[in-house]
Amino acid sequence: MSAHGVWTVAALELRQRARTSRWPAVLAVWFVVIAGVTVLTWLAINSSSNDVLAGPTLYDVTTFLVLALGMLVVPSLTATSINGDREQGVLATLQTTLLTPADIVVGKLLASWLVSLVFLAVSLPFLVWAWVSGGISIGSVLASLAVLALVLAVVCAIGLMFSTLTARPVASAVLTYLAMAALTFGTVIVFVLSFFLVDSREQVRYYGVPDSWWEQHQSVTPDDASSEPTVADCRHLTRETEVIHTERIWWLLPLNPFVVVADAAPGRDVRQTTSSGGFTPMRYISIGARAARAGADTRERQECYVGSNAPEEEEPLQSGPVWPFGLGFLLVVGAGASAVAIRRTRTPVRRLPNGTRIA
Amino acid sequence: MESSSRGIEVRGVRRAFGSVLAVEDISLTARPGEITALVGPNGAGKTTLLLMLATLLAPDQGEIRIDGVDPVTRPREVRAHIGWMPDGFGTWDALTVREVLLTICAAYDMRTERARTRTDEVLALLHLGELADRRARVLSRGQKQRLGLARALVHEPSVLLLDEPASGLDPRSRIELRDVLRGLAAEGRTVLVSSHILTELQEVADRAVIVSRGRSIDVQTLEPDGSAATVARWRVSSLDTERLRGWLDDRRVSWRPDLTATEVDVVGEEAAAALLAELVRDDIRITSYAPSQGALEAAYLAATEDRQ
Repeated sequence: MSAHGVWTVAALELRQRARTSRWPAVLAVWFVVIAGVTVLTWLAINSSSNDVLAGPTLYDVTTFLVLALGMLVVPSLTATSINGDREQGVLATLQTTLLTPADIVVGKLLASWLVSLVFLAVSLPFLVWAWVSGGISIGSVLASLAVLALVLAVVCAIGLMFSTLTARPVASAVLTYLAMAALTFGTVIVFVLSFFLVDSREQVRYYGVPDSWWEQHQSVTPDDASSEPTVADCRHLTRETEVIHTERIWWLLPLNPFVVVADAAPGRDVRQTTSSGGFTPMRYISIGARAARAGADTRERQECYVGSNAPEEEEPLQSGPVWPFGLGFLLVVGAGASAVAIRRTRTPVRRLPNGTRIA
Repeated sequence: MESSSRGIEVRGVRRAFGSVLAVEDISLTARPGEITALVGPNGAGKTTLLLMLATLLAPDQGEIRIDGVDPVTRPREVRAHIGWMPDGFGTWDALTVREVLLTICAAYDMRTERARTRTDEVLALLHLGELADRRARVLSRGQKQRLGLARALVHEPSVLLLDEPASGLDPRSRIELRDVLRGLAAEGRTVLVSSHILTELQEVADRAVIVSRGRSIDVQTLEPDGSAATVARWRVSSLDTERLRGWLDDRRVSWRPDLTATEVDVVGEEAAAALLAELVRDDIRITSYAPSQGALEAAYLAATEDRQ
């Protein structure tokens, strides 16, 4: 692999893409959709009576929208890249030159990634708008852009891999979208369905009014006003209950690109738990994923609800961030997908999959 | 097999796709400075063989050497030597003719200056100069064929692998193609051309390898005028057909009717000339006397007689 070879392929791809007239239209639609959703979000926040900053909500909505649309658009850049070239009979033209399979695959990857960065750039004004609206830091905006760019690169690589694995472009496009669905929905579904694997009945500690108190007092004199318990009646006790050890399966969550982006660049500091309203899905996802990693709460539960005494609301368990695992996983997947694609573009070919043509 | 030898050496090559045996046993030699024709019916394995020579397919059995290098173990070295023009190739439709060639130059790691000069040279050689800034999409089939040949030539390969280069070419372009191929061979390059168009190959090729059902059947060495020193048929027309046929019967020359004319079997051109002299001497009034089919055609038909 050489920089010259990679750039030769990337330049070829970009030049061809630039000349097919659909792209300006696709970018325009992309811009209009994001603009529409962002403006509606902004109007919705401003019409609500309570006084909330628009920034965090705008930021969350825009970032997720860009990621969701990106995962829909980007596969179309690469999922038909190599088998499409094979069908048109132009891949072999490159393979018989001095370009290596790595030049071809990495060049195509680079070109499609650059195109997906153009989509990202088009959505940049809305992230800037969120920042101007206040409530989020410029660091968050930059972090989310960086993570989005990396996630889109991985999506490109996955599409490229499938385009080397199937003979027909339609098949590889479908497989790429299925892979996106598996990452986005599959991870969450499997996480929830796996609860039965990690639940158990355990003794948990709590601080509250023991059952025996009610038996003693209410059964004897039900109408007695003094039968209400007081704080002095609360005891440190245990009872058997169902505990779900999410700390054993939390790693399923950061495989999801949405969790990675949400946890890596939440619009609001996660540790700042006092909510000031607004719709901030990224923050909820981030808190949820970190709580899942922290696992079953073994702290004593505060249940001493006696008279006007309400125990303080406990903060959810905190753990370290989950996004490094997810991003690491996605990058490994991307590298693996590229390696598979390179292997599958190597010539001379010994075994030829059914229906594949060489030239 | 001598490893330092130039040209193409193919020994007992076999290649199957699943249960379909595309190439069963092909051997051939193509020497530098010569044009070697690869002739055979559809599905004979010509394209598969060329894919193996072009480093795209590995043979199941047998050996290939291109300028002494094995394309299976050292494909990159072979690629530097070969120019491959595929049959029915596609091209990057959105690019102009010049851009296509410059891209290929870049893919062969040529310097910008050199790439520009070579592109202009090849454009001129194949009369593509006027089309240089047109998109490849708008080219006619024949123009695309010429672009395909330009693409195969631009990096000055020593071995040319051309799959059906003449298909879709108009008569003028065919004659020009013939001259281009002759020129390339004269420069000491090895040229391997596959084609169905026998008369065409006969005019240009130094030798012909006939393949059928995945086997190389016959090698014909062709004379400069395109005939071969083997039995050929000559087509004779006379004002008096009955008398001609009687005369042939007397001399025990085998013949068969061919519409109003008569076909006779003759061994070589010398014999053909002698036969004509005798016919004229005996006052048999001949109106036309010519080979009824090319030597290559005759050999081809003989070799593929038992096949569909």
